[in-house]
Amino acid sequence: MVRISSKLLLVTLLCFGSVQSAVAKLNVFACEPEYKALMNELAPNAKVYSATTAMQDPHMIQARPSLIAKLRRADLLVCAGAELEVGWLPMLQMKAANSAVRNANTGLFFGTDHIETLDKLDKVDRSMGDVHAQGNPHIQFDPYRLLQVADALHQRLIKLDPEHQTEYQQNFANFKQRWTQAIKGWEKKAAPLKGKQVIAYHSTFRYLFNWLRIKQVGDLEPKPGLPPSSSHLASLLSLSNKEHVSAIVITSYQDSKGGQWLSKKTDIPFLQLPATVGADNTQDLFQLYDTVIVKLNGAIQ
Amino acid sequence: MKFSKSALFIALASVSMASAAQTNQNSLGKNINISSIINGNYQSAEKALSEREKGFSIGGSELAISGFIDDSLYGKFTTVLHEHDGDMEVEVEEAFIQTMSLPAGFSLRGGRFLSNIGYLNNQHTHTDAFADRPAVYRALLGDHYFDDGLRLDYLAPTDVYWAMGVEAFKGNKFRAENDEVKPKSTGVYTAYTKIGDDIGESSSWQLGFSYINNQNGLTALEHHEEEHDHDHEDEKEHAHEAEGEHGHEDAHGHSHAAKFTGKHIYGVDAVYKWAPKGNYKYQHLTLTGEYFKATDLFSAEEHQDEVDDLSHNGWYVSSVYQFSPNWSAGLRYGEVTVQEAHEDHADEMKLKESEFQVSYHTSHFSTIRLQYSHQDGTGELKPVDENSVTLQFIVALGAHGAHQF
Repeated sequence: MVRISSKLLLVTLLCFGSVQSAVAKLNVFACEPEYKALMNELAPNAKVYSATTAMQDPHMIQARPSLIAKLRRADLLVCAGAELEVGWLPMLQMKAANSAVRNANTGLFFGTDHIETLDKLDKVDRSMGDVHAQGNPHIQFDPYRLLQVADALHQRLIKLDPEHQTEYQQNFANFKQRWTQAIKGWEKKAAPLKGKQVIAYHSTFRYLFNWLRIKQVGDLEPKPGLPPSSSHLASLLSLSNKEHVSAIVITSYQDSKGGQWLSKKTDIPFLQLPATVGADNTQDLFQLYDTVIVKLNGAIQ
Repeated sequence: MKFSKSALFIALASVSMASAAQTNQNSLGKNINISSIINGNYQSAEKALSEREKGFSIGGSELAISGFIDDSLYGKFTTVLHEHDGDMEVEVEEAFIQTMSLPAGFSLRGGRFLSNIGYLNNQHTHTDAFADRPAVYRALLGDHYFDDGLRLDYLAPTDVYWAMGVEAFKGNKFRAENDEVKPKSTGVYTAYTKIGDDIGESSSWQLGFSYINNQNGLTALEHHEEEHDHDHEDEKEHAHEAEGEHGHEDAHGHSHAAKFTGKHIYGVDAVYKWAPKGNYKYQHLTLTGEYFKATDLFSAEEHQDEVDDLSHNGWYVSSVYQFSPNWSAGLRYGEVTVQEAHEDHADEMKLKESEFQVSYHTSHFSTIRLQYSHQDGTGELKPVDENSVTLQFIVALGAHGAHQF
């Protein structure tokens, strides 16, 4: 049996070794769709796979066979980091037997390694719920931080694939120009949102609210990672009677029951925003930001 | 590798205290992870083929240290607590290193580790949806098969997940009663392959095939002497002795020795998972099924042809559904049929098991489970009590490793 298996290995090697060398394109494994979208801007010729969709909570992903197979062949792994993927990525890395995507200086790129995260904690205790010591990893809605990440990512691409250096530089310059321009437009459109108060689900929109100066006065989760309980919803009900809350905001992969219940009780508009690229038919980061700001403006008067 | 006292456990615990302050750095980086599982149980009755006693126990609690040794090696050390007749024993269940930087999808693992055969076998028992492993695991694989050995694994660079590997183990746990041949020091060889993929965005599956070659798996049946009357008394005594030994083994069932062995074991396993749009946070379904068959069980000088076709076999199917982040429930049905050596022949025994469990998860680090089991057995597998209830809590402390599919 041992002998049969080694023969099988050899045959497999011969079959697939040639296939692999024929594919010269950079093979990228992105943990979340926003990183896939960023890769599409910086390296449109690369083959990019996103492990998750906008409808999936990135904290709770199964280390499933298809992901192991994808990571096995990746040249570059691009993720949020800051422990967002701690429940599944280490298992994928262990099983994928691909040393190329384990080195944080080459094939492993964590977006949060290249920016200053919000809400870093000196001390983490499980009684606080499922929190991240390295700060909030949901950075997709901070356009300035995202630009910093894009800068670092294009440098990484050059390091991995120096042949296409000018291409990556041009792509980044192009993205930077369009992105900076777009930020001005978004900030102008979102100006009326400044100072508004909302209740949201988890700290998913921490960076969005920070950027647009929206204040999250309540969280549908009693503690990070825990689902809304009835007693907690009751406390939010009394909070919305005291404070002026303009909207209840959740994201595409979060359960709408608690938020809708609260909205019905209080007549505060309920809003489900796309978590990332792919929800609400958004195709890229520009459309994602456009949609979020249009939706916020529509709900918050 | 057993320790009569819990000294090692305590020693590890103090190490964990000391280094806890240094953990929580870069998640995938150089640091050491310390994790502990506390598994508390109350069982209303003793079950057939089960190592867990009636009443309270904390058996199955564990303490593990793991981390990257350097850029190319990963190591893990896991000790598991066993409680028996008031004695506490610590068993080293894992002590292995694994290569992380071999080229072309290869990896090597050496030391003591869980074999990659079957679906459940390489999963830690605390991640199971039921209080005990299925009966077929308890009968043929010693609950879960871990041993000292070496594994070579290869992951094909295909779009569909396709892993395969071979293992060699010491195999002491799978050693059958046999005075006629000298046992081989490397007794168990395995080969496995697993394939898997997604179906759309909501479903994923994995299919596995395993083979175990047990060099020491043949049980010697006793000679049936010509001079019946003369040897009868002697034989009876001998049988009694053997039974006594067997009873002793049972009392130390936590040694994880396989109770029923054979020269060859073939296995097939399948798992299917579903979550709405692939979002596992709120609801998800897991369907699992496995089948094992052991052949070439006995060596009998005179009656070889009579025992040649005998086999042990068993299977189970289970379905677990998570209704909400807090609640899940599961059903499992399984059977195992084994041949027990009895003097010069073998007796067939059967155990059927139906189980139902409801679990409450306060967070994804803690589970409280209530399980009802119904056992229907023949021969020595007839349970004292057909019905039993298990109340269990399982919590994870410290760095909690990512789960397997």
